[in-house]
Amino acid sequence: MSFIAWPKRTALGAALCALALSSLAQTPPAPAAPAAQDLLAQVRQRVHDAPVVRGGFEQLKTVKGFKQPLRSSGDFVVARGKGIVWHVLRPFESTLVVRPDSLQSRGSDGKLTMQMRAQDEPVLRTVNAMLFAVMSANLSELALHFEVTGQVSPKGWSLHLVPRDPTLAQWLSAVDLQGNQFVQEVKLQEARGDSSLIRILDPVADNTLRPQDAAQFE
Amino acid sequence: MTARTPVPDAPPGWLWRTAALAWLLVIIAVGVHQWQFWKHDGIDTDVMALLPVNEQAPDVALATEQLVGQMSRHVVVLLGAGEWGEARAAVQVFRQGLATRAGTRLREDAIAQKTSMQAALDFYQPWRERLLTPEQRALLANTPDAALVQKALQDLYQPAVQARLSDWVSDPLSLWTQWWTARGAQSQARPRDGELWVAADGQQWAVLQFALEGSAFRLSGEPVLGNALQGALADVQAQWPGARMVVAGVPLHAEAAAVQANREINTIGWGSLAGVLLLAWLAFRSLRPVALVGVSLLVGCAVALSVTALFFEHVHLLTLVFGASLVGVAEDYGVHYFASRQGAPGRSPHGLMRGLMPALWLALGTSAIAYLALGAAAFPGLRQMAVFSVVGLTAAMLTVVCWFPWLDRGTMPHSRVAQRIGQTLALWPRWRHALPGSVAVCAVVVLLLWLLGGLRAQDDVRQLQNASTPLVAQQRQVGEILGLPSPAQFYLVHGQTPEQVLQREEELKDRLDALVARKELVGYSGVSDWVPSARRQASDAQRVAHAQDAVFKGVNAALGESFARASTPPPAPLTVQAWLAQPISAAARPLWLGERDGTYRSLLMLRGVKGVESLPALAGAAQGIEGVAWVDKPAEISGLLQRYRISMTELLLLGHVLVLGALWLRFGRKAWRAWMPTVLASLVVVGALTAFGAPWQLFNVLALMLLLGVGIDYGIFLQEHEDDPHAWLAVVIGAGSTWLSFGLLGLSETPALKAFGLTLMLGLPLVLVLAPLFRGSAHNKEH
Repeated sequence: MSFIAWPKRTALGAALCALALSSLAQTPPAPAAPAAQDLLAQVRQRVHDAPVVRGGFEQLKTVKGFKQPLRSSGDFVVARGKGIVWHVLRPFESTLVVRPDSLQSRGSDGKLTMQMRAQDEPVLRTVNAMLFAVMSANLSELALHFEVTGQVSPKGWSLHLVPRDPTLAQWLSAVDLQGNQFVQEVKLQEARGDSSLIRILDPVADNTLRPQDAAQFE
Repeated sequence: MTARTPVPDAPPGWLWRTAALAWLLVIIAVGVHQWQFWKHDGIDTDVMALLPVNEQAPDVALATEQLVGQMSRHVVVLLGAGEWGEARAAVQVFRQGLATRAGTRLREDAIAQKTSMQAALDFYQPWRERLLTPEQRALLANTPDAALVQKALQDLYQPAVQARLSDWVSDPLSLWTQWWTARGAQSQARPRDGELWVAADGQQWAVLQFALEGSAFRLSGEPVLGNALQGALADVQAQWPGARMVVAGVPLHAEAAAVQANREINTIGWGSLAGVLLLAWLAFRSLRPVALVGVSLLVGCAVALSVTALFFEHVHLLTLVFGASLVGVAEDYGVHYFASRQGAPGRSPHGLMRGLMPALWLALGTSAIAYLALGAAAFPGLRQMAVFSVVGLTAAMLTVVCWFPWLDRGTMPHSRVAQRIGQTLALWPRWRHALPGSVAVCAVVVLLLWLLGGLRAQDDVRQLQNASTPLVAQQRQVGEILGLPSPAQFYLVHGQTPEQVLQREEELKDRLDALVARKELVGYSGVSDWVPSARRQASDAQRVAHAQDAVFKGVNAALGESFARASTPPPAPLTVQAWLAQPISAAARPLWLGERDGTYRSLLMLRGVKGVESLPALAGAAQGIEGVAWVDKPAEISGLLQRYRISMTELLLLGHVLVLGALWLRFGRKAWRAWMPTVLASLVVVGALTAFGAPWQLFNVLALMLLLGVGIDYGIFLQEHEDDPHAWLAVVIGAGSTWLSFGLLGLSETPALKAFGLTLMLGLPLVLVLAPLFRGSAHNKEH
């Protein structure tokens, strides 16, 4: 009956970060404009393509109404085909697991505080589809959802992503990525004025998941 | 019998003249009315209009009618392609293709563009903190304050965009955003690039909605809308061969029904007319009988249509389809007259008519009783068919009686075909021990039926609607892809005030939430999803205020901030009336049925009901809540059809007794001879259909009723004119054409009419073959 549709609350950020962190490698970005194609091709050459990437992160979040920016840090694991785990350690411990079919958040006691299943949340499904398309090195998906501009220099590359879809644009005005062999910095500019800056620290490529990380994806 | 005694015929008196003139005046009036009728659309296509208003729940019928009325002009088109980009481009081509074909009739309802989310948010803004989903309500009630604080802090520090509809301070727990998310979950479709988009079955679909302008359909026999849609699709497929289209909407069904009916009316009507006239030609070898019989049929149908249109608001399409088979029954009188003329060439037409009249009136009487018994079934559709048929038969009969003797001047040539047909009667054996023999046959058939396990009664709605048509399949697919609530089952909620209706809906929804958790269904849609009752708004506001206070306190303590709730006076509650005026209510508006006789009513519809096995639990959910009624349309229709099947079977038995009584008055102890052929034929038909595994439905019973009315006629004619080859000729020709008509009706795609046609197609020839067997022996008149 209702054809009216409303955007989902999504852990878009999580997805986008993962998208950025994941190896932006390999695929020719099909439908993008020639310039963007060229750009993405160059970025693809730079980025190290590995099944698993691990590292630490630091986030600086600016939220309207707060006197101080919110600073947090922790570590992360991206496993191609499996998902991403964000493990926040400071100032409060929590874990965010993004998988193809679900999104879960746990508190320091390991208790589930939030769970979304892709089948209940269609937008989550598309975001995940987008994310995993990129993770499986399908850059055409990225160019489908965003207008991509940027530059590549000997020191590294930077991309500026603006959502094509008005629905997505209602939440997010832009994403800026910076990197070289790995993504180094992600800046999320929300439509409501809040923003997050995530710095990736000491990323390492690996071929397999460590057992303790693998458990997170179970 | 009387017809054998040669009486000198008196010349026609003033009564004959007056009757002929009066009938002429009636026919002129009917002609004028017909002219008016066809200029206006007075025709109904809804199959459900055939069904009676459920006398047990008149307001359910009203609610359904309102719901259907609101949907009656909508057409939904899903256009799918492998990639969204293709689907988007295809939509543009499709729109253009449609505009050139049916642009004036289908106007696009650009919901995606029209409904501004910002406007909706602005409208709801004052009640932001008074709206909770069932999950949120449970969460806030069961979560300790400390856990709420922890959750808020987690969200703040996790590397994720919270996708908020407001800033953090206004809604630290994102309740408002989640509430809107739940509203969005009522449909699978999402705005994307200015279109509505949904992904399903491995395809990317664009959702288009159209409203039909102007009259819902015309009986032109051309599927204008269907052709336009298919044409536009062809344009699309010329560029994207893989593109697919799925359509749904009442106008499409109406149009398909009209096209089908138009085709069937033509097949049955013209087919049987041609057959009747051919038979008349073969029998009488003269144009006059052919022309006159044709006139009687034309008059019969025209008068029938006019009178039906006067009696009923709308003439149903199926009445016309069924009515077309009348041609094969109404010719009996004219044929009978000419057959007698052939047999008694010396008599004057009026004298002959006088002699024929008792048998003709009796035949008309039994047919009329049978048709009227159809009308006893309180089905508006059947009533129409009954009125149509009785009036048509009477008009044909009156035409024969009033006009034929005047118009039929000259002699009747002899036809060899007619002679041969007539002579077959002499060759026909007589059943010597007909009474014990036929009773024994009846007993055997009944026994066999019992051994076969009885009748396989089937009462569901499938008799009325051919559920296997592509259109029905597409309708279902659209419902599945978009996740729309099914119109088959719903709750009807009543109350003295809108507030009471909303409160009752909420009480019901609390019970349904438990069933959702048990996966008996996916969800529900009701007005109270969008406008909670004032009572619930107040209690939710309290919960939200408490939770926010706790979160602010916790965050202030942890981060050294100084957040506090703004103390604003509570707004007046959000009302249904205010909501109805907003564009955002468009999709759910049909659920609010409004006020009637001081009572407010709404519908609560269900999405993704697991299956038939979930229905008892859903029915149980309504129990004990005042003003809430569970409506299961298929079950209701089945129950209705079953009740009528049983009561019509009783009426059929009663009909047989009454007919036997009427025959007794005329034929005395020989009455059973006219009656038994029909009884035997009916039983054999029942046995044959059961043996072939055909389901037994109300419409088979109704057909047997008609078989009684028509079949008895053969017996009557043969009893009246026992060894008269001309009476036999008339019976054979009459049966032949009736058989042709109902045989053609058996080709109908409407299962009910098909069952009707098949039953009569089997039964009528049986009666015809059996009837001469039951003539009394030439020597012993009393059996």
